[in-house]
Amino acid sequence: MPFIPVIGFLGTDYMKIRDDFKVVKDPYSGEDYVVVPPIIPDVAVIHGLKGDRSGGVTVLGARNDRLLATAARKTIAVVEELVEPGEVLPGLQEVYVAPVHIDAVVVAPGGAHPTECPGRYEIDAGHIMTYLTAAKDEASFQNYLETYITGPADHEAYLKKVGFRTPDAT
Amino acid sequence: MGSSQTESFEKMIGAISRLLKNGEMVVTGTLSPLPAAGCLLAKHTHAPDLEPMLYGDPENRLSEGLHEFFGVAQKGKVDVFFLSGLQIDRQGSINLSVVGDYDHPKLRLPGGAGSAMLYSMSRRTILFTMTHTKKLFVPKVDFVNATAFDGETRTPWRRGGLSHVVTPLCVMKFDEERKQVVLDSLLPGVTLEEVVENTGFDLDVAGRQIPVMEPLTEEEQSALRGPVLEKMRTIYPLVCRMIWG
Repeated sequence: MPFIPVIGFLGTDYMKIRDDFKVVKDPYSGEDYVVVPPIIPDVAVIHGLKGDRSGGVTVLGARNDRLLATAARKTIAVVEELVEPGEVLPGLQEVYVAPVHIDAVVVAPGGAHPTECPGRYEIDAGHIMTYLTAAKDEASFQNYLETYITGPADHEAYLKKVGFRTPDAT
Repeated sequence: MGSSQTESFEKMIGAISRLLKNGEMVVTGTLSPLPAAGCLLAKHTHAPDLEPMLYGDPENRLSEGLHEFFGVAQKGKVDVFFLSGLQIDRQGSINLSVVGDYDHPKLRLPGGAGSAMLYSMSRRTILFTMTHTKKLFVPKVDFVNATAFDGETRTPWRRGGLSHVVTPLCVMKFDEERKQVVLDSLLPGVTLEEVVENTGFDLDVAGRQIPVMEPLTEEEQSALRGPVLEKMRTIYPLVCRMIWG
């Protein structure tokens, strides 16, 4: 779509700072509407629960990951679990995203850490606090990067470093 | 968290609950634990047919993604929505973007997300805040993310706007005629002076007798500490541990 109308922006300060938000006349009702241009990400990275080698994945319905995958030029799906094709069935809180929207599947259990993966593991509030404290100045932030991001050899080493517990199988 | 802090939150939850009517569809968005608890409390007390749609509720299923919920709001199905702001002003406008000048802000925030649309498309919106200070309740917000009513511009399809503001000190309401926020009631244990001293605009209290909210009843208290808290722990586990242990 070349643009879409968004209700509620007239009378707000968005109209002062966003010169790409335009007011157009609705050809049907004659009313004024604010329209906004599309966002087309070059790459979307989404977090899924299950994925297979063909690129089918399931993602959480409470997020907009399916919408993101369909909007982006390329989409990388990080999934908690690799399963056989035919077993990529959405659970109660999940929706399915078809392979046509997915360019790569990365299998990374615990891949949402330190944020949560509802149903699998909670947010790691302690680590978020560590990050927030470290992010306050350049030196401590560099130290954080070395300790947790560039230091660990791989994802497994990162999880070990942050003390991530593999969730109990349910 | 101290027990007086816990009590203060529970009073707010009670105040929110009592603003909700039986049969309403009530929606809470992200980072809205007190409104979510208020909805559940209403459902477990005076509003058994309330339809809550609480973001983060594991029982809340969607067919495609969160954006569907915006469609639900635009259809006109949402009776009550909850918003907050880093600044709220006398006209009920909210600021979720910047404190200070937009180009040289003292503080930059994530922004308004869907608040402008939801403030217009919900039948009524209740604002809630976790503190009550002059920094928060200002005469005019530094940036308007969403408006409580249509001023000079007309929002086609607009269904509603501000109804009440619930803070740790009081409940304010929106005066439809004068298009401004005025004091409605005090939370138990709070004085009028405290509210006036901590609010950066005139709450129109001169010559008015401001009622004090009735404390939570035994029924409300036991529902809150019982089934409401049990459900809340599945939606906001971390916040619940912080408030109730």
